Amino acid sequence: MQMRNIGTIFRKEVKDTIRDRRTMLFAFVMPIVAMPLLMTVIFKIQMAAVQKIEGKRSEIVIQNIAQLPPELRDSLMTDTTFQIKTEADFAGKTLMDELKLKAFQALVVVPDNFAKAIELESPTDIEIYYDRAEEVSAVAYNKLEEVMSRYRDRVCMSRVVKRQISEDVLKPFEVKGNNVASAKKLAGKMLGGIIPYFLILTCFLGAMSPAIDLGAGEKERGTIETLMVAPATRGEFVLGKYAVVVLTGISSGLLSIASMMGFFKYMANDAAMQQMKAMLNIQLDIQTLLLIFAVIIPVAGIFAAILLSLSIFAKSAKEAQGYVGFLNIFLVLPAFAAMVPGVELNYQMALIPIVNIALIIKNAIAGTIEWNYVITAFVSLFALAALALYFAKRWFEREEVLFRM
Amino acid sequence: MIEARELCKNFKDRKRGVVKAVDHVSFNCKAGEVYGLLGPNGAGKTTTLRILSTALKPTSGTAIINGTDVTVDSQKVRSQIGFLSGNTGLYGRLTAREMVAYFGNLYGMEKQAIRRRTDELFDLLDMRNFADSRNEKLSSGMKQKVSIVRSVLHDPPVMVFDEPTSGLDVMSSRTIVDFIKHCRDSGKCVIFSTHIMSEAMRLCDRVAIIHNGRIYREGTVNDLLQATGQNNLEDAFIKIVGE
Repeated sequence: MQMRNIGTIFRKEVKDTIRDRRTMLFAFVMPIVAMPLLMTVIFKIQMAAVQKIEGKRSEIVIQNIAQLPPELRDSLMTDTTFQIKTEADFAGKTLMDELKLKAFQALVVVPDNFAKAIELESPTDIEIYYDRAEEVSAVAYNKLEEVMSRYRDRVCMSRVVKRQISEDVLKPFEVKGNNVASAKKLAGKMLGGIIPYFLILTCFLGAMSPAIDLGAGEKERGTIETLMVAPATRGEFVLGKYAVVVLTGISSGLLSIASMMGFFKYMANDAAMQQMKAMLNIQLDIQTLLLIFAVIIPVAGIFAAILLSLSIFAKSAKEAQGYVGFLNIFLVLPAFAAMVPGVELNYQMALIPIVNIALIIKNAIAGTIEWNYVITAFVSLFALAALALYFAKRWFEREEVLFRM
Repeated sequence: MIEARELCKNFKDRKRGVVKAVDHVSFNCKAGEVYGLLGPNGAGKTTTLRILSTALKPTSGTAIINGTDVTVDSQKVRSQIGFLSGNTGLYGRLTAREMVAYFGNLYGMEKQAIRRRTDELFDLLDMRNFADSRNEKLSSGMKQKVSIVRSVLHDPPVMVFDEPTSGLDVMSSRTIVDFIKHCRDSGKCVIFSTHIMSEAMRLCDRVAIIHNGRIYREGTVNDLLQATGQNNLEDAFIKIVGE
């Protein structure tokens, strides 16, 4: 094993890879551009949907509106988020059918003598019909329920006061929820699942393209034979190529993180984005970043070795792509583990590759780094990376693999 | 310079079981001589040449290349050999000069030597005007010239050509044939395989008729013609293989 040869191979493959537009696109442009773009699009769509529902005035029909107590009627009429109609607006039609046909969003049925009953302090009901399956209808119901509850509270108060009892009697105690989670931890819960997933995915995609080109590409171009008769050992070829693939994988993983951080820091400037920024007000501190960086190395190492092995086995880039697409499921899917509620880091989880780093990164962003698990995970990851590399080397030495054309 | 001793190579095939691609092949080839392996597709030519150039390990038997046993020190053997085949490809995104330099480095040459030798060969093959173009932009004739320079940059004493003209047009084939003559005249030991009889007649000092992994007959073209009583190599070939 000569360093000179490995260096020669490494330099040549770096040059070749940098000039490959496909690899550039997958490994460098995509992580930088796609991530913020994707997040913006998802977020905008969500915000638009929310605004559409909340910003729209709810059309409600109040049947028998004359029976509403004046105070309640006024609160409903003056609420600009309601557009109030009465049964007179739908003369000759069945209100219940119209509700189902979405002519309006909620129907309030006021019983006869409703105002009277309240005045006389006798129990009574008011009914609201709405369509749970329709979001706008549900929103209308929630708003109505809120207005009515407030009115009911005021009625209670006045009744108590009338009896010369302190208002406090209605409030034996209040429940005050105090959130002790730090902003970092909250953000960790939200971002924690997504960041490692993106990181692992971009690392995989970054390593994929050069791996295919450096393995199956040699067969496709008809250059593999010239390599096999050149006086460098097959181990040297594996290491030189492997280093390039690992490097590309690491670079794209880190680029995606950098791009996401930059996006949150500088680009998200409209109001809605500001709101999200406030929610995600986290600074990935230097310790967390170093950990992410450290973790991405063995991950890229594992991906590169497996990808390169498959690639050299394949007869063509197309065949290699087929294998890789299949592999994608097994290698990247475990990263979803961090998004599954209830999956927590423990020694068993720390031993499972990919799952372990997804959980470690998630926890680190949330502010907890448990070094015992981190070390366990690293041992497991580097062991797998070494095994995969050894396998790749053996694979490169097999005639039936190299000359499988 | 090249001495093949009872070379055997078996492949396992799922349908056909063990296939004897090369079956006890022995021959030798001296410096300044062109030795031809003549046979149809699947005869075992490529496998034999791959064993000689250490891309494949023989199942049994061995070959001595310029004094080194292929089964003992394959690295040393590789540095003694220049290898070229008809479907050898290039790295499209590298320039001719970069591609050649890459192999020069792999063959352990110093920077200075690589530059000197590249200039010399680029001049010889009239390649100056596309030396710094990317390979993917070159015509097939230009590409073949790059491959030639790649194979001979380290000035090996032994040249191995595996069907070097297959798939090439007339002009490119001519370049290759001239290059093979050039190698012979500069005292290299040349072995080459082909299924084109006319090429063999024109180039080879001696030929071996190879079929089903075995050498059927060996000698100068004239020897073979006389022995079979034919007046062209094609008929001689059919006669020999048919026996």
